[in-house]
Amino acid sequence: MIKVLKAMIVREIQEHKVAFVYAPFFVSIILCLVIASVYFGGTNIQTDQFNFSTEYYDEEIRQAMQSVSSVSRIDIVRTGLLVLGFPILLTVGFGLLAYSLSTFADERKDRSLIFWRSLPVSDLTTVLSKVFTVTLIVPLMVLPYIILLQLVSMTSASIFFATNDIVSFGWLWGSYIFTDWFRIIFSLWAQSLWSLPLFLWLMLAGTYAARPIAGAIVPPVILIVLEGIIFKTNLVLEFIENRIGFWSRADSFPKEYQELRVVDVSDILLLFSTQAFWIGILASVILVAGIVYVRSSNSDHAID
Amino acid sequence: MNTEVVITANNISKRYDESYALENIDIEISKGQIMGLIGPNGAGKSTFLQSVLGLLKTEGNLEVLGLDPRKDRHKLLKEVCSITDVAVLPKWMTVQQLLDYMDGVHPGFDLDKCKSILSRTNIKLHSKIKVLSRGMVVQLHLSLVMAIDAKILVLDEPTLGLDLVYRKDFYSQLIEDYYEGDKTILISTHQVEEIEGVLSDAVFMNQGRIVMKDSIESINKKYLELRPDQNYLDAAKSLNPMHQRTELGREVMLFEDIDKDKLTALGDVRPPVIADLFMAIMETTKKGGQQ
Repeated sequence: MIKVLKAMIVREIQEHKVAFVYAPFFVSIILCLVIASVYFGGTNIQTDQFNFSTEYYDEEIRQAMQSVSSVSRIDIVRTGLLVLGFPILLTVGFGLLAYSLSTFADERKDRSLIFWRSLPVSDLTTVLSKVFTVTLIVPLMVLPYIILLQLVSMTSASIFFATNDIVSFGWLWGSYIFTDWFRIIFSLWAQSLWSLPLFLWLMLAGTYAARPIAGAIVPPVILIVLEGIIFKTNLVLEFIENRIGFWSRADSFPKEYQELRVVDVSDILLLFSTQAFWIGILASVILVAGIVYVRSSNSDHAID
Repeated sequence: MNTEVVITANNISKRYDESYALENIDIEISKGQIMGLIGPNGAGKSTFLQSVLGLLKTEGNLEVLGLDPRKDRHKLLKEVCSITDVAVLPKWMTVQQLLDYMDGVHPGFDLDKCKSILSRTNIKLHSKIKVLSRGMVVQLHLSLVMAIDAKILVLDEPTLGLDLVYRKDFYSQLIEDYYEGDKTILISTHQVEEIEGVLSDAVFMNQGRIVMKDSIESINKKYLELRPDQNYLDAAKSLNPMHQRTELGREVMLFEDIDKDKLTALGDVRPPVIADLFMAIMETTKKGGQQ
């Protein structure tokens, strides 16, 4: 079973290497270059909302940096690095949405479905391989890019700070929490489980609909409208909004973070104790069953 | 001939809206048979083969190697391989990636054997499937199937769209390198004349029904085709041929269950080719239905 799943997951990555390998790689490289150019090349990005420039480090800031407490320093560094990783996460997030919508639609469109189904692999195993790809493998694949970006940022900043007598190497690297790598991967795994119903809904649309995009959008819109008219509530819309966002900032999450921060493993355990999380898992199980049923009874392979 | 039954179909039907793609099909297929499914478009050949592969839900009782193809599809497909014109190999893959995938998911797949088969072709392992010609893709598919020690091979129009050379190669490779006495092969094709020499049995289908099923050996004994001399035309007609046609200005008559000696005196006698026999039976059935 492990050998079969491994072969199937490798196939998923090979087929969608643009979304899972190339796109985050290029975004990471571009971000690394931008960061390095800010510290070494004099790039100056300043807007009303955003300041990414070495000109920021004036005398006042220098003194503030040296006098700040170690706890605050660590928080600042962690938050900064977290924000830097967002473009990569957004890229992969869009990649996952596109993957979910196309993975079952493409096999109908290029008519390879019959070939895949002529092999001794059950429909359930096929769906599970895609669920594992979304929830376990892709987050793992993203981690090296985030680490690369963090290391490039830390190194660039260290060199700039040290050579400009702002702070020492030790000042900065002492604030870098290597165990955040594990927090990030656990957080991403939790995020993919949190958003899993959305991914599976898109997969189901790709399995049954002649026009997958319409198949993914129209039924929820109808549900939202009907729910609003009949029950005067917004549960479906709220469910979708919550699952698109970060799990730690969802309405149902017991802790309300005021500022952006790296989550702790205890936060993830807290997530697992919420009803909303398990409703999502239950919805995912039902959607998996639906995909298996529709795929196994798909005798019409036509797709636009 | 091995008599162990590997496929049993009892009263199999498949209906789409108001029309039947398969209607009350009863058939037993034994180990070692190379059975040709012959019929026009819409006869139900592909529907039957897809049912055998567990890809379609049908009414009635269908057992393949003692398993229900729908319920035990993935178990069954360890022992049953197929090449169908609708089963398109994934174009985005390279040959090597496809081989690795097969090695990962198919317990009966022999990677080294497949590479050895492919080394005798022009197919390169690093080639993407989308750059291969249609003939090479079928050749690749056949190589994959030949590297699996399966009990049943289902071929549904496997050589559709291929040129003559590839078609000939396909069947000669299939028989010389793949077929062993304990394997069962089901073939559906429009190019009947090309598979005639390899079949052990033939099933004629039309409009979702089996019109005739018999072994080639029995067909050759049972049916004879006579090209009578002009002088014996009336004598030949008096023997009640089941079908009569004109070929290049010469009468050709088909007889069923007749003493060969009676015909030999009247002209050239030989067993009919399957395609002609099929056409004759179709026309006879049609006439019978109209009467």
